[in-house]
Amino acid sequence: MSEITLVLQAIGRGESKASEDLLPLVYDALRRLAGARMAHEAAGQTLQPTALVHEAWLQLVSAGERSWQNRAHFFGAAADAMRRILIDKARRKSRLKRGAGQARLDIDDLELAQTTPDDNVLLINEALEKLEREDPEQARVVVLKFFGGLNNQEVAENMGLSLRTVERQWACAKGRLFRWVRAQH
Amino acid sequence: MSASKQVEDAVFFTALNLTDLGQRKLFLDQACAGNPGLRAAVEDLLAAQGDAEHFIAKGRAALHLPTEAFASGMATGADEPTRLDEEIGTRVGRYKLLQRIGEGGCGVVYMAEQEEPVHRRVALKEIKLGMDTKSVIARFDAERQALALMDHPNIARVLDAGATEAGRPYFVMELVRGVRITEYCDQNHLDTRQRLELFIQACHAIQHAHHKGVVHRDIKPSNILVTMHDGVPVPKVIDFGIAKAIEGKLTEHTLFTAYEQLVGTPAYMSPEQAEMSGLDVDTRSDIYSLGVLLYELLTGRTPFDGKELMKSGLDQMRRTLREKEPQRPSNILTTLHGTELKATAEHRHAEAPKLISLLKGDLDWIVMKALEKDRARRYETANGLAMDVERYLLNEPVVARPPSRLYRFQKLVRRNKLVFASGAAVSLALVIGLGVSTVLFLKEKEAWREQARLREEAQRSQQRENELRLQAEAKEKINQAAIYVSQERFDEADQLLETIKTLPPKPSFDGVNAYRSVGEWLALQGRWREAANRFLPLMQIDRLDEWRVVTLDYQACGAVLAECGDRERYAQFCQTAVINYGATTNGDMAGRILKTCLLMPPGKDLMAQLRLMAEVADQYFAPIPEKDFPEWAVIHLSLWDYRQSNYGQAEAWGQRLAGRGKGTALEATARVIMAMSCYKSGQAEEARGELAQGRALIEGKFKAGLDHGNGADGFWFDWIFARLLLREADGLLGA
Repeated sequence: MSEITLVLQAIGRGESKASEDLLPLVYDALRRLAGARMAHEAAGQTLQPTALVHEAWLQLVSAGERSWQNRAHFFGAAADAMRRILIDKARRKSRLKRGAGQARLDIDDLELAQTTPDDNVLLINEALEKLEREDPEQARVVVLKFFGGLNNQEVAENMGLSLRTVERQWACAKGRLFRWVRAQH
Repeated sequence: MSASKQVEDAVFFTALNLTDLGQRKLFLDQACAGNPGLRAAVEDLLAAQGDAEHFIAKGRAALHLPTEAFASGMATGADEPTRLDEEIGTRVGRYKLLQRIGEGGCGVVYMAEQEEPVHRRVALKEIKLGMDTKSVIARFDAERQALALMDHPNIARVLDAGATEAGRPYFVMELVRGVRITEYCDQNHLDTRQRLELFIQACHAIQHAHHKGVVHRDIKPSNILVTMHDGVPVPKVIDFGIAKAIEGKLTEHTLFTAYEQLVGTPAYMSPEQAEMSGLDVDTRSDIYSLGVLLYELLTGRTPFDGKELMKSGLDQMRRTLREKEPQRPSNILTTLHGTELKATAEHRHAEAPKLISLLKGDLDWIVMKALEKDRARRYETANGLAMDVERYLLNEPVVARPPSRLYRFQKLVRRNKLVFASGAAVSLALVIGLGVSTVLFLKEKEAWREQARLREEAQRSQQRENELRLQAEAKEKINQAAIYVSQERFDEADQLLETIKTLPPKPSFDGVNAYRSVGEWLALQGRWREAANRFLPLMQIDRLDEWRVVTLDYQACGAVLAECGDRERYAQFCQTAVINYGATTNGDMAGRILKTCLLMPPGKDLMAQLRLMAEVADQYFAPIPEKDFPEWAVIHLSLWDYRQSNYGQAEAWGQRLAGRGKGTALEATARVIMAMSCYKSGQAEEARGELAQGRALIEGKFKAGLDHGNGADGFWFDWIFARLLLREADGLLGA
């Protein structure tokens, strides 16, 4: 039985520290899995994050343990892990374009209409951090959808919300994130 | 999270879902009454909606991972080398890329070299909209026939189309070395007359294409280049057929990509194109774009400023293009500042005041006619437009005329119905000059009623919308539950079905089966109440199955309800069954339903209602000879007789089955009924004997474990049935 399955079981039993253990395990698993994939594919190919997460789910969690609760925990952690990975990547690329040595994206240098997709991701992330302080539930929907690639139904199940609530939170979140980013210019 | 944010979110989301702008306005009026801050915040969110979607989508598009991102823990430089540098010198199909020429709204343009069948230089445009390549190419192939027929000195031919290895579509065109028409005119200080002459040629090209059945759809200065042939400037229209190939069925996805195009050149889009409502874009859309081009050639700017359009968001942009009347060319020059005006005039080799007077009059009207919002009022053909321009050049009278006062007034009223109706004196003042204020005043009352009706309509449609939404959600959930069922994830399916409150009118086969399977799964665990909650909706939605299946469902439902011991619900259920099937002429069906309704001793009313069914069943079964008599029919006939207190008759039926020794649920049930009948007719000894045998079978089955079962030995609900009667018999005999 994989380590991840053990942690999921621990979470199921209500052990308090168990959920903290999940994220680093999932993070490592995703990286290893992608690395293994890379060995078989030509360079310059890209991976869909959602496909990777699903593959990890099927490989690392045995059939008998794929309850909807475990699924919720796993995909929640995977969304967080993906966020970390993708933000790191976007930062690296952005740094390259702006010249090395800049640790953080300098917003004042940006013309919103001219942002690259990677800059967008970083701006979204920064706005998201602000939203997390204001409305944690709404921010969580964003993380699951944007970084985890979950659809509305899956988010609803994961967070125990109604589908309509998820739709509302997502619609509102998009508007607010954009507004915040735009206001910085 | 603050309460005000909650309110803002809720109001915003509801408003967002009211796509009719009139309704939306009414809703906001009510929801934000006395709270201008809320109104402003919500409208800001609404206005930003389109841009927000675009922004987030752009971010999402960036979320692919080059595999190198995982390999190296630290940053190395090029984990994703820019495709372009890779591509130069590479081949795309039979074309060798030489140099990057430019970048458009939807793709990059390269100069490329073709070797076979002919050696020449071409322009290769790669489209990167993230769309379905196959369908784009397919659509282009469809266009290609038409495009091949086009042969005109002012049209750059489209030669080929294909897909790169990475799956991006590309188009190959005649290479046109030239500059944009607007740039050319400005750089060479062409005067108005010379510009018009070039413009006429462009119109002829478009006309030729229209004649061949091809609409360009994307006319703008960057698509009309001017090259020199023997010292003579020749305009060439490029990019034919590409816009159509890319544009397709409007899905949410293509809406974003269409937005990309919009973001490029909103100024040139015709109102019907901007609507993107799937309305057929025809040749008159090109006429509009030609009108914009003419406007720009004459005045140096477009009727609506591109940047301004983009700033206000998608909805506002559409509305502007759809409703706002642009300024006449001569007028707009008067709004320019000194230096701008001077520069514009210089480009046109004229003095400012002379330029303005030149445009005033006929030229103004030609442009405005081409720019009409209502496409029926534009020029019919590009030639028509060209000819009017020619007439102007020859000082002949033109077709275009300023619109009549009445027409303009009608447009004004239509656009501002609510404003006029509110009786604001200001708006009345606007029309006093046209002398129809009295007419408006009378219309005021009508308009108030109109508003009230709109409010009601809004509420009703909101309710309808909610209802439809719930149904659609329910349908989705049921489908998902069906998938869970097929994967034997009954728990998850059950949880999902639990959340459904509104049943959709026509769920799928699989959906209906989801309810049934989950119900059975619950019943087999002894969770009777929950099982009942799955079977009852099944009764409502199961219209798709054949009657045999339906009656099995009824039996299952009845058994489960009776097992719950909930008399009231069981009684209601029987009522429903009688209402739905009481008048059936199918004896078989009647028998099964009858049986189901007799599980608990029925009241007088129910008995009366069941009588008809019993007769139908009787008539059906009575004539069948003994050797062919179906076993299961015995139960309903015998049970009916028992309930009617025809004990002898009930016993007789039972005798048919007794002693067959097969150990089926049928047999067990028959024995129990016999036991009760015997007891009631004074044969206590016999009764006890039969009951013991029946009990042995039943208890044996339940001890071994209840399962789905089959038609021969008995389904699971047949055994529940038997056990229910056994309990009744125990009560009777006082075992």
